[in-house]
Amino acid sequence: MTIALAVSPTRMELLKLRQRVGLAQKGHDLLKEKMDALVIEFFEVLRRIQEARTKALEQLSVAHRALSMCFAVVGTLETRQVSREARRELQMEISTHHIMGIAVPAVEVGEVERNVLARGYSIHTTSSVLDGASREFERALKLLIELSELNASAFALARELEKTKRRVNALEYILIPRLREALKFIMMRLDEMERENFIRLKRIKAMLEKRE
Amino acid sequence: MSYKIAVVGDQETVTGFALAGATYVHIHATREETLAKLSEFFASGEIGLVLITHRIAEELGLDFRWMSRAKRLLPLVLRIPDKTGYVPKVDELREIIRRTVGAGIMVRKEGS
Repeated sequence: MTIALAVSPTRMELLKLRQRVGLAQKGHDLLKEKMDALVIEFFEVLRRIQEARTKALEQLSVAHRALSMCFAVVGTLETRQVSREARRELQMEISTHHIMGIAVPAVEVGEVERNVLARGYSIHTTSSVLDGASREFERALKLLIELSELNASAFALARELEKTKRRVNALEYILIPRLREALKFIMMRLDEMERENFIRLKRIKAMLEKRE
Repeated sequence: MSYKIAVVGDQETVTGFALAGATYVHIHATREETLAKLSEFFASGEIGLVLITHRIAEELGLDFRWMSRAKRLLPLVLRIPDKTGYVPKVDELREIIRRTVGAGIMVRKEGS
């Protein structure tokens, strides 16, 4: 059920309303196109997430297994100690690019996997099992960084998609029907006034003729 | 711009990622501490990615969700499974798809 806007039934108002309906319709069409494009983009990102996620999670569980092995062989405390000593200066480059006006992060990361000497802990006091664990975690981290980029894009797209959908629905189901209702009301009213006028004229004419 | 990486997790996760080169780490002990640490991570401009385990994210619950909604584009937040491979049953992304598209969607490889 639509509620008619409060309008005065004049010709001026009618013209204005017609313009507004046209504008709303145009906006609606544009937004709908935007929404379609967003959906396509969104699904593309989702598909890539699916792939990246299975890969990353697999690698992460491999890494955890290697770490457990390391805990067992080297010892828990020693491993923790080494993790504190390790050089921890991994940098990632993040810039934003825009998909249809939405800011989406673009992550660039150099080689995460380091060589044994670059890790920063002393090699001769630690076991090679520890190196293995480090390596697996570095690989996992690289995959996770890639995944995080996709994830953030998906979230940004989803948020925009939701907003666009709201707008499209508001135009389609609220604003445009209301405007049309108002338009109809004015047209009916104007017609009615014309008929009233017609009758009035006829009456006056009849009265004038009777008087003669 | 170049950014650093922060990890919030249990002892094992943190140790592993520290070995891999994550700069900031926090071992989860109490809710309050972790929340304070997280807001510190979110506020600092030099962190580009915060990894947090699913288990802790779930424990922090609504507070964490509010925080990650209120933040700007950066830092990115990614939830990861911990050593037990724990992943919550309700997938966040799937939930979002359900909300935006209005239906659950399975992404399948073509031909299967």
